[in-house]
Amino acid sequence: MGSRNLLVALAGQPNCGKSTVFNLLTGARQHVANYPGVTVEKKTGAYADEGRRVELVDLPGTYSLTSYSLEERVARDFLLGDNPDVVIDVADASNLKRNLYLLVQLLEMEAPVILNLNMMDVAERRGQTIDIAGLREILGVPVVPTKAKKGEGREALREAIRSLADAPSHEHAFRIDYGPMERYIAELEEKLCEDPVLSIRYPVRWVAIKLLENDEGAAELLAASHPEADLVMTLAESCRERFREEAGNAAERHIAFTRHGLCARMAGRTVTIPTDNRRSLSDLADRYVCNRFLGPVILVAILMVLYQVAIVFGNWLALQVWPLWGALENFAADVLPAAGFIDDPLLRALGLWVVKSTTAILNYLPIFLLLFALIAVLEDSGYMPRMAFILDRLFRRFGLHGQSTLPMILGGVYVGGCAIPGVMATKAIPDERARLATIMIVPMMNCLAKVPLYLILIGAYFADTGGFAMFFIATVTLFMALPVAKLLTLTVLRKQPSAPFIMEMPPYHLPTVTGVMRRAFERVWLFLKKIVTVVAAVAVVVFVLINYPGLTENRRAHYQAMQDKSLDAFMSAVDKTGYQGRISRDDVLSIILFNESLKRAKQGVTDQTESNVINARFEADNPVYYAVVKRVGKDGKALNRALKKVDRVRKKVRREARAERFETSFLGIMGRALEPVTQWAGFNWRINIALLSAFAAKENSAATLGSIYGIDGGQSVQESMKAGEAGFTALHALALMLFMALYPPCVPTSIMVRHQSNSTKWMLFSIVYQTLLGLFVASLVFTGGKILGLSGFQTMWAFYGLCVAATLVMALIPTPEETEVAPLINASCKEHCS
Amino acid sequence: MTLNELTPGTACSMADLTADGPLGQRLMDLGFYPGARIEIVRNAPLVDPVELRLDGYHVSIRHSEAKHIEVEL
Amino acid sequence: MKKLMIVLTLAAMTAFAGQAFAHSPLMSCFDNGDGTVTCEGGFSDGSSAAGVSIHVTDGDGKSVLETKMNEDSECTFDKPEAAYSVMFDAGEGHQVKIDGADIVE
Repeated sequence: MGSRNLLVALAGQPNCGKSTVFNLLTGARQHVANYPGVTVEKKTGAYADEGRRVELVDLPGTYSLTSYSLEERVARDFLLGDNPDVVIDVADASNLKRNLYLLVQLLEMEAPVILNLNMMDVAERRGQTIDIAGLREILGVPVVPTKAKKGEGREALREAIRSLADAPSHEHAFRIDYGPMERYIAELEEKLCEDPVLSIRYPVRWVAIKLLENDEGAAELLAASHPEADLVMTLAESCRERFREEAGNAAERHIAFTRHGLCARMAGRTVTIPTDNRRSLSDLADRYVCNRFLGPVILVAILMVLYQVAIVFGNWLALQVWPLWGALENFAADVLPAAGFIDDPLLRALGLWVVKSTTAILNYLPIFLLLFALIAVLEDSGYMPRMAFILDRLFRRFGLHGQSTLPMILGGVYVGGCAIPGVMATKAIPDERARLATIMIVPMMNCLAKVPLYLILIGAYFADTGGFAMFFIATVTLFMALPVAKLLTLTVLRKQPSAPFIMEMPPYHLPTVTGVMRRAFERVWLFLKKIVTVVAAVAVVVFVLINYPGLTENRRAHYQAMQDKSLDAFMSAVDKTGYQGRISRDDVLSIILFNESLKRAKQGVTDQTESNVINARFEADNPVYYAVVKRVGKDGKALNRALKKVDRVRKKVRREARAERFETSFLGIMGRALEPVTQWAGFNWRINIALLSAFAAKENSAATLGSIYGIDGGQSVQESMKAGEAGFTALHALALMLFMALYPPCVPTSIMVRHQSNSTKWMLFSIVYQTLLGLFVASLVFTGGKILGLSGFQTMWAFYGLCVAATLVMALIPTPEETEVAPLINASCKEHCS
Repeated sequence: MTLNELTPGTACSMADLTADGPLGQRLMDLGFYPGARIEIVRNAPLVDPVELRLDGYHVSIRHSEAKHIEVEL
Repeated sequence: MKKLMIVLTLAAMTAFAGQAFAHSPLMSCFDNGDGTVTCEGGFSDGSSAAGVSIHVTDGDGKSVLETKMNEDSECTFDKPEAAYSVMFDAGEGHQVKIDGADIVE
């Protein structure tokens, strides 16, 4: 056929090694995106074959092709709409009977199919033999065996693709005989053929069968094209009714059972299964993993390992990598316009702020990489369904799913986690309603960025009972998240589709290093692309909000006076030395900056020789400055002392000016404006500012508090805060901590929420509801505690009790799906299809 | 009798499905059809859900869902 | 500061791996050449290190000097005669130790 490019789709049931086959065919060249408008991942790749480009699309794994799930719809739409030249049905050879169920549906759709019997090694290990030639003959399609995990079969597959593409068959001889239903199919087909467009675009027989199955997607197709769609629908209804009366069975059941019967017969003729019931390794493993007592223990152990490696080791890794980000900051400091005395030129201030905000996030990268790799291992190994199996009953009571475990652990179940990978991990949850519920509560868990603030507050106000306080804040979030999840499920999320639980538990599988690393890097890249850019943008906004309107003329004059005074002192010192006339007033700032530049250049240098080289370079650059900075000669020493004084004044001026700018800034105004509302929670405007800044990144709260209280003398932040807020009590601190715990997710997390829920509406909802909830809880605790006259400590435990009670109560309320019982049908099936 | 009434270790074959809509479809898609051999492997640590062996592969299903599967021993 | 240390130790004991990784401690030290050493400290998230304890210990681990970071997150102390180490101590898991031999002019 020549040089036309080919489009090949990869279909298949879950757990049949489709991804491995995909990787086998495309090698490293892949691209992950989303199908338009939905959160279903679309993986595309390509390879070159005899001068042609073959584009491969990995369709979502589906057991069937109905309209009930998003994945199935996406797969179907692609097959019908994008017209692939070849469709490869990747099947698990050791489970042929079940996998054929999908194949026959593909054949009914008249897709150009190649049956790829993958996992032949597993079939062999189980002692099965498959008559491939026989299959080929029965099905009428090419059958290609592969062992994709071992890398075998690529050429055979590529060849089969080539052959089929070059010599497409238009016969579609495969037909399932539906027995008594056939005449109804014919009736519908006749009516459908009245629409010339429909009958060309879609296989008519397939549409007829789908309509009889009561398939929504087919109805939509019909309505979009057929001039008399309503009539056809009525006819289809009548056919279904008549069939049911005649055969005593619902149409869709008859269709499904007939298919299964056919598959069973086909498999019976071509596959020989050994009669001895050998227990596989997976079965053996499951005896422990799913055991009543060992199961939960193993679960906890696995989660602890995950935690230790990702967080603890990741922490260490992050520290090693930090110099990289530090170098970036130093580079920016050197390259941007020089600093001033009281404050810095806009470009410099803004630039450094953006760089610092970005490096703070980049600092997480090693940890994310580790986390994503570990999650990929968990997912690939097949453990996730076991986790869901063990915990489902517990989580279900709160509207969550067994697979909500991992996202919540990642969000931080004791002290330490991050909502970003937590929300990302909700992708795997099959039940849409539970998924959204999980996404909404993961940010409430204990993310690591909240911890510095907790430590400050506990150290300041709960110093004697620190251990208990830590335990409180770490565990109370769980008891708040669960009732909230239930509440959301009962109210806002009620309308969301809830899927049946039934899920496959595939055999365990050893993840490959390449597979895991590939996924980990993919996700890190996604993170970088989506999040870092927004963080930088938000940093700019925050910068404006905390620095403007800026100092008034008056205040500026005040600081200017301090500057002048210190410069005067220095200049008089200069006049007493041999540098008189060689160092001017303007030089002073330059000397200070020269010193800072020198220190930056030597950061991390531990070798004296290397240090000397740097020193020499700076000396050559400006011998006079160098002399003052490095105390060369008697004059140098004297001026060095004077310089230190000026530097101290400068630092003080900058510190105080910054604190002042903060307080009079837009953010400060906002903080003040919010005071009437937040007073019930015990927050004054200074706290409000810190909290508002925390929206950009939770870490900011601790840093901002530090800036606001304008640390004085040798005090720690705690002491300064206590001094600055004389009226604060432990109760205030408690309210603040609780607010921080519940407060909306930081910007990167919000972006991830938007990405996973695929809707800005949900992102906004999560921000709004969490803020309101936080405010409500903080107010409840503060005002409640005050009215009841309880101490901070007492309120803490009263609140704890309240949360635990709420959790128990919520657990007892039945979830919506438990009150709707699926309609029971009395018709009994007269078919035996094995 | 229905599937949820059986205890771990029992083998049976499916007689009929009494579920409609998405649940029924999903059950059928995952291989529940008349004559299919089902073996109850174990209950979860918290009793629900239950793990089944269906024609050589394993599925787990809630008891409320198993109630809709009629079987004969 | 001692109270904070107790609190943090308790927390660390009752938690597993409760470390604020984004809040990594940082410190760099310089030999001023005039018999004193200056150390500047901070945290990776920009938090101030003011008030953080600094321990200077000798080769045997015995304490030579105890001080704190000042409001500019710096501290300057007399350089010990013999081998020494400087530790930035913001609590369990938030410590940085630098060997005196690595502090150059």
